[in-house]
Amino acid sequence: MSKTLKGITLKGSAELVAEFFSFGINSILYQRGIYPAETFTRVTQYDMSLHLTTDAKLKSYLTNVISQLKEWLFDCTVQKLVVVITCLETNEVLERWQFDIECEKTAKESSAPREKSIKAIQEEIRSVIRQITATVTFLPLLETACAFDLLIYTDKDLEVPEQWEESGPQLIDQSEEVRLRSFTTSIHKVNSMVAYKRTNSM
Amino acid sequence: MDDMEDTTIFSTLKSFKSLISGPDHSLLETEPAYGRSDLQKLYTKRVELEEAAERVRSHTSLLQLTQEKQQMELSHKRARIELEKEAHSSSRDLQREIDRNRELLLKIRRLEEKEEKANQALNEQMENNKALKRNLEELHKKANEKDRKLTEADQMISELKDETRRLNQKIQIQESKFSTQNLEIQALQEQLDVQRKKYKDVSQRYQNLQSSHSISTESELKMKELERRLALQEQDSVIVRNMKSEMVRLPELEREIKRLREENAFLRETKENNSLLKEETEGLRKKLERVERVMEEKLKAELEKEKLEQELQAWENIGQAAGLNIRKPEDLSREVIQIQQRELNLKQQNYTLNSSIRSVEKARAELLPEIAQMRAKAQEEQKKRENQDSLVRRMQKRVLLLTKERDGMRAILESYDSELATSEYSPQLMFRVKEAEDMLQKVQAHNTEMETQLSKAQEEAGTFKLKVQMVTAELEALNEQQVSNAEKNTLATAEEVSSLRQKIEELEAERQRLEEQNNILEMRLERHNLQGDYDPVKTKVIHLQMNPTSIAKQQHADEVEQLRLECQLLRDRIRKIEAGGGVTTDDTTLIIPPSQEILDLRKQMESAELKNQRLKEVFQKKIQEFRTACYVLTGYQIDITVENQYRLTSVYAEHMEDSLLFKSTGPVGSGSMQLLETDFSRTLTGLVDLHLFHQKSIPVFLSAVTIELFSRQTVT
Repeated sequence: MSKTLKGITLKGSAELVAEFFSFGINSILYQRGIYPAETFTRVTQYDMSLHLTTDAKLKSYLTNVISQLKEWLFDCTVQKLVVVITCLETNEVLERWQFDIECEKTAKESSAPREKSIKAIQEEIRSVIRQITATVTFLPLLETACAFDLLIYTDKDLEVPEQWEESGPQLIDQSEEVRLRSFTTSIHKVNSMVAYKRTNSM
Repeated sequence: MDDMEDTTIFSTLKSFKSLISGPDHSLLETEPAYGRSDLQKLYTKRVELEEAAERVRSHTSLLQLTQEKQQMELSHKRARIELEKEAHSSSRDLQREIDRNRELLLKIRRLEEKEEKANQALNEQMENNKALKRNLEELHKKANEKDRKLTEADQMISELKDETRRLNQKIQIQESKFSTQNLEIQALQEQLDVQRKKYKDVSQRYQNLQSSHSISTESELKMKELERRLALQEQDSVIVRNMKSEMVRLPELEREIKRLREENAFLRETKENNSLLKEETEGLRKKLERVERVMEEKLKAELEKEKLEQELQAWENIGQAAGLNIRKPEDLSREVIQIQQRELNLKQQNYTLNSSIRSVEKARAELLPEIAQMRAKAQEEQKKRENQDSLVRRMQKRVLLLTKERDGMRAILESYDSELATSEYSPQLMFRVKEAEDMLQKVQAHNTEMETQLSKAQEEAGTFKLKVQMVTAELEALNEQQVSNAEKNTLATAEEVSSLRQKIEELEAERQRLEEQNNILEMRLERHNLQGDYDPVKTKVIHLQMNPTSIAKQQHADEVEQLRLECQLLRDRIRKIEAGGGVTTDDTTLIIPPSQEILDLRKQMESAELKNQRLKEVFQKKIQEFRTACYVLTGYQIDITVENQYRLTSVYAEHMEDSLLFKSTGPVGSGSMQLLETDFSRTLTGLVDLHLFHQKSIPVFLSAVTIELFSRQTVT
């Protein structure tokens, strides 16, 4: 288990990043009210209290995507993960939470673990999630019913598995972008940013 | 063994000695002297033989003994080895036994420790038991104590009860005492009054005392004041005495004052003189300083004068030395001017020469390339000449060869001619001639090839030489140009420098522009990256087919579809209802199932209606009962014909239409009624007047009417 050793291996780093995404996506869904707040329960992770969904369908969808993402992180073929929030009535994209992933390809060849303590990584992850929670204060309210989707930007030559299909980037027209904090496991570096549709009243 | 050997040897020696002694005796007794030598010889022989035999025997015995010894040693060794083996095995057994012993000892120790621990545990348990027993005992004791305390408390309670009884008794006693004391109090109060009067007397006396006391204090104060004044007066008297003594000294003081004044005046005069003298001295000192300064200046001036005289002499000497006929400085200045003019002239000449040099150099520079060209041409010409020479030589060689060929051919022809006469060797000779001709042709071809190659090589060499010479000429020209450039006008270099600088500035400006462009592009790229753009060549975007957004959109679309259908159906229904004008529940295809609320409300409504019905029936019955009771008991049937009008019909009425009409006046429920005119009431005017106008009572009137009608009926 890479968590008990001092160094970080590629596999351990992929697990950490996948775990972060799982909790991060849950937090975003809770904070933006995509699913009702009573369908979430609180768990403790990274020394803070986070929300996790209890909806069975949503859970299975998330585990499906995250497990596939973990494989791709291990192969260093994934470039971005995007959470797209669409309004159901107008079919417009209202928000885009984009996570850029930079992978040290040299870690694939050498199997020596990198020196970075789990605690430092967890600190950084904690600050990123706190920032996500804080950004909710300036994001415009989502008044209509919304749904979300997870897009993954991968290398062109990657074999698309069954149940997955290609899609457009689902960009927002007239967007405002805000760059958030990033964290690194010394093998994977994750940059976060959020783009939201400019409201006309501002 | 050795002992045995020694003993055998000794025994043999003994026996030998005995033998010797025996035969000696026997020999000595029996044999005469002449036989002694033979006997002696025999004896010595025998002795020798015996000795030899003895030796042999001893040898053999030794050998046997050694053999036995060796055997013994062998057996001894074997025995030792066996013993050692046995010893080893026994030692091993011993060690095994020792190990077993140790193990057993360890086991014993462990068991002992266990036993000890068990013992300790047992002891602890015992102690715990004891402790528990002690606790139990203590608890028992505590319980006993508590019991005891309870009994004690009971006792205390009983005691306290006794005490309360006693205290009650005491209270009673105290009360009696109190009453007695009240009496005493009264007596004491009377005494108190007496005492008060006494007190008043005493107070008065006290006041008198106080007033007298104050008077005494005042008098004391006065006394003190007087004493003080006395003291002051004594002091004044002392002072006066002193003054008197001082007054005596007064004239002396006056005399002294006079003297001092005179001295003062004298001193002032001297002070003025002093100041004058000081001024004079200061003036003299300044003069002295000035004079000294003047002296110094004078010395300096003299020195300068000497220096100037020397210089003047030197200047005059210069003039004499230079031979320029200088007596005055004007001559010198003239000479200087002349020299300067000469200098100017020379400078002008210098400039002109420089310009001429430059022009000459320019011409030279222009000429140099021409020279180079000429040289090149000359070299070309030379090369051509050389080529021509070589060609000439080749031609000469060819000519020689051709002449030789011709001679050869001539010789051959002559030989042919000569041989034609013989005509024997002609076919061979023809063949040989053909061969020779072939050879010749080949050689000629080879020759021409070689000549062409040689010419090519020479041409190439010539061209290379030309190139080299041109390059060297160019190098020389460049060197000379560089040298000439260094001496040339600074304007040319400045021009080049300025042109280079301009180029540099242009390049810098372009670089900055490009940098700005780069920054802008990078920012745009960053922006696009933030927005989510990607390079389609390197990346692609994928997502799950069954993702929440698509599912939600599907559901949304389905809902919308459903709602639209419902809307449509409802609109149709409404249209039909409006057209039909009634409740049509059978021809609509969509039957909206009655909701639970509607059913409940319907049930409630039915129950309410039933209640209403029942209440109405009950009310009906009751009112009927009440009306019949009223009719029976009062004798009047009361009907409400019109609002607020009551028609009364008596039991004993003669005709059916005989009725009294009353109207309710005033507010509802107040009960004030008025009688209205009817045919029947006109017949009862007397009663009306009596009961209604005078007595103002309707019940009396009604009962009077009843009695009247009854009397009428019964009478008739």
